[in-house]
Amino acid sequence: MSIESMISELASVAAHPGKQLANFKAQGKKVIGIMPYYAPEELVHAAGMVPMGLWGSNDKTISLAKEYCATFYCTIAQLGLEMLLDGTLDQLDGVITPTICDTLRPMSQNIRVAMAKYEKMPTIFLAHPQNRKPAYGLKFCVDQYTNVRKALEEISGAPITDEAIQNAIKVYNKSRAARREFVKLASEHCDVITPTKRSAVLKASWFMLKDEYTEKLEALNEELRKLPVCDWKGVKVVTSGIICDNPALLKIFEDNNVAIAADDVAQESRSFRADAPEDQADPMMALAMQFASLDYDVLLYDEHSSENRRGEYVANMVKENGAQGLIVFMQQFCDPEEMEYPSLKKALDEAGVLHIKLGIDQQMRDFGQAATAIQAFADVLKSL
Amino acid sequence: MEAKYTLGIDVGSTTSKCVIVKDGQEIVSKSLVSVGAGTSGPERAIKEVLDNCGMKKEDMSFILGTGYGRNSLDIVDDQMSELSCHARGAYYLFPEVHTVIDIGGQDMKVLQIDNGVMVNFQMNDKCAAGTGRFLDVMARVLEVKVAELGDLGAKSTKRVAISSTCTVFAESEVISQLAQGSDMHDIINGIHHSIAARMSGLARRVGVRDQVVMTGGVAQNVGVVAALEEELGHKVYTSPLAQYAGALGAALFAYQKATRKK
Repeated sequence: MSIESMISELASVAAHPGKQLANFKAQGKKVIGIMPYYAPEELVHAAGMVPMGLWGSNDKTISLAKEYCATFYCTIAQLGLEMLLDGTLDQLDGVITPTICDTLRPMSQNIRVAMAKYEKMPTIFLAHPQNRKPAYGLKFCVDQYTNVRKALEEISGAPITDEAIQNAIKVYNKSRAARREFVKLASEHCDVITPTKRSAVLKASWFMLKDEYTEKLEALNEELRKLPVCDWKGVKVVTSGIICDNPALLKIFEDNNVAIAADDVAQESRSFRADAPEDQADPMMALAMQFASLDYDVLLYDEHSSENRRGEYVANMVKENGAQGLIVFMQQFCDPEEMEYPSLKKALDEAGVLHIKLGIDQQMRDFGQAATAIQAFADVLKSL
Repeated sequence: MEAKYTLGIDVGSTTSKCVIVKDGQEIVSKSLVSVGAGTSGPERAIKEVLDNCGMKKEDMSFILGTGYGRNSLDIVDDQMSELSCHARGAYYLFPEVHTVIDIGGQDMKVLQIDNGVMVNFQMNDKCAAGTGRFLDVMARVLEVKVAELGDLGAKSTKRVAISSTCTVFAESEVISQLAQGSDMHDIINGIHHSIAARMSGLARRVGVRDQVVMTGGVAQNVGVVAALEEELGHKVYTSPLAQYAGALGAALFAYQKATRKK
């Protein structure tokens, strides 16, 4: 299969998650919706069910969700609820609602109330610990994951064995490694893996069984490795933010010869940076340890936050990946990202890393202003 | 050697501007039509700028488009962002420029310039506050022409505080002030300071270094320029060609491209 065919296959999955859901159901599988962020998908996989990421929509308009949401909820969360209400996700057998930010906490209750009212599906509440690393934080995380495990067992109708979880951890670690490798290869072959293709390939992972996805991605990686590293004449940037998957927006990168060297995006690399240990006797603890090992994330508490480690991490990411600048996709009404921005800007300025901040949301259909900013930024980076 | 003429066209959200330069040095013609992207404005502006100097499209060595409507022009040989073009135009007008403030019809930008090259910039968020659109809305509520705002605001004896957060909120504040009998000149003064406050916040993110030059249509409003000087604590230079800076920069870049082509 050619590289283009491999990419097209994954891009088709990314563009048609509804079709994927229908296919899984036609195969008699149970499917669990996964709201952002950091739900232990491994437990769903271990239960023999399919986890499907719910990251809003670039096509839908918020209407039904307005009954439940304040105006200042981000569009990702609102559109997740919209699809749960408007029938798009009626085939789901349940939904896990993590509560890591100030929007997702109340949103978990909105979803619970709405799904109960319309008798659509069970909802699984998940509270991650703020203090992830101490023993009590790990224990809290294991307790919470155990609640999720029990709820999933009720939906699947069978117990989830430790062995199945150990196996799922291996499947997911392999998948995360393949995606990290892909990100590296995408930068080396940015003439082939354009920003829209890069996004589509990574996005597809949210809508496929991980073993199947990883197999396809490893095959693509293998073909990419055979290509000579491209001599890129345009500029390279690192992207940062919650999500940046709108093809119309990413097309602007391509129009201006802007390639993506690496990303600090929640829906992309932030979701596969860290693996779960495979040598733990208790697989639930292994999952808690994986969550505890996630660092440099806007959404997660950093016990060394006064040191601005995250800002420095992002600035270094730009330098170490051969990028000339950073593009921040600021999701409208995302409090964590907006409040963290001054610290990020400070670190970038101190490191001499140029950046632009683009305000986006999932209901934007016109990217005229973003096009101007990206084109001008490319001009600036070219003149460096 | 035969002279080279290049044309820059800046299609904004509210106006279309054209400039023709000779050999990348001398402005030989300019035009401005008060409608922008998606209208007959660009076509009319091109016809006018050519008619003004008795030239034809075929006489142009290179035509470069810029501005919000730059992607919808069939006539151009290439296009560039208006930020780069404003930087280039401002540098032509003021060779000592280090900071360019451009307030256009629907956005505001601050550009940092070193030796005529844009090295950093900031744009406003997706919001009409602080833009030319803000002034349009306010002028309509006050039943005056936008072009009159500068002179009217100069007659103010005290400033009425107007929100710089949101055009819609500010509009209702203006209506409320009018209902309370506040003096129109003082309200206009407040409106100018509202824009200046918004702009100066954006400018400080990039850093303000002399010379500070203001380009774009709003630069013609002496009230906004004065308010901006007060807010920034820097002298703000403007030019009668301020509104043409983008088109001028485009024409100058067009010359670079025309000569590079050979």
